[in-house]
Amino acid sequence: MSYRDELWRELTAVGITGGLRSRIVAEIEDHLACDPGAELGAPAALAAQFADELGTSRARRAAGQSFAALALAGILFGVTFVAAPGGLFRAISAHTTWLGTLAAIVATVGAQVALVAGALAACRVLRRRRDAVMPSAEATIVLRRGAVGVAAGIATMAALGLAAVELRHAQPGWWVTLAEVAAAVGIAGLAAAVPSLMASLRVRPVATGSAGDLFDDIGQLLPHTLHGRPWRLALLISFGVAVVIALAGVATADPFDGIARGLADGLLCLLGFATLGRYLGLWRPAIAG
Amino acid sequence: MRSESLKGHLDALMLAVLGGGPRHGYAIIEELERRSGGALALPEGTVYPALHRLEASGLLASAWSSESGRRRRVYELTRRGQRELGVRRGEWRQFVTAIEAVMA
Repeated sequence: MSYRDELWRELTAVGITGGLRSRIVAEIEDHLACDPGAELGAPAALAAQFADELGTSRARRAAGQSFAALALAGILFGVTFVAAPGGLFRAISAHTTWLGTLAAIVATVGAQVALVAGALAACRVLRRRRDAVMPSAEATIVLRRGAVGVAAGIATMAALGLAAVELRHAQPGWWVTLAEVAAAVGIAGLAAAVPSLMASLRVRPVATGSAGDLFDDIGQLLPHTLHGRPWRLALLISFGVAVVIALAGVATADPFDGIARGLADGLLCLLGFATLGRYLGLWRPAIAG
Repeated sequence: MRSESLKGHLDALMLAVLGGGPRHGYAIIEELERRSGGALALPEGTVYPALHRLEASGLLASAWSSESGRRRRVYELTRRGQRELGVRRGEWRQFVTAIEAVMA
């Protein structure tokens, strides 16, 4: 088998196909035509090097685009939420059906998952921004965080749109229009990040190495006593979330309602850590290199 | 020079070579060797993946060209690449000045 054919096969094996594979092979053929004795290395090693470098830059781009789309969706969601006359939750509990309540729950949970997953994806690529190559396990974690963030963001914006439809007779027309436009723009922005996520799923680095965990991402911001203690950190964050939500609820609405909402949010936060923690690489390397 | 010691400087070296004008992969390696008087001999297999990565990062642009009936991928710096080259040159000068001050 010729060097060209072997390289073609190895590129296919690492997920590099189509026009990109043809281009790489043509460049290498041109190089060999200039210098038949060129030392390009074994085809498998060359293909792996392409996968490592392209997979890393694709993962980085996917995380960046996901974060940008989530930031836009977050601003739109926040503006719509704050602009709701009389408060969105109060309006939902007073005027809508089970569908509206479901939309409110999805929006509440989805927004938090999207924020955490998207921010952690961005955090990880920022930390590794100077590295030409990320280990395969680390790129997988970045992609998972980006994908979960985008999926949760789409669910959140769809839920916002649904809540607006449910509240069309209870809220002013301008707010309903604002919420529907915000939902549509937010979903369109998040959908625009999907192709880069798909592209990075196709070509992933093959380099070995550990994926790290949450302490690698934000360890510098945490007190030393929390390092290596993920559950203690999860409890602390959940408690913080519960207190903030409860205080906000007490200040703006019924105190009992605020406390109940704070408790529910804290429990949801803890549940999120338990269910998604390992998948999103929050603790213990989820994937061995 | 050992290829391992060049690894961390590969991007800056390629940007610097392309700062002199568009070139295809083989010409980049040749120019690097010529400018360094043969001291910088890159492992050829590392150049193409790095070129693709730099292009994916928006620092390079590339297009096919035809030379004596042969199709070649020619790379050139983008504006962002030119800015990055300026940054890398500045960092390198700082580094050399600091090391020289210690070693002299």
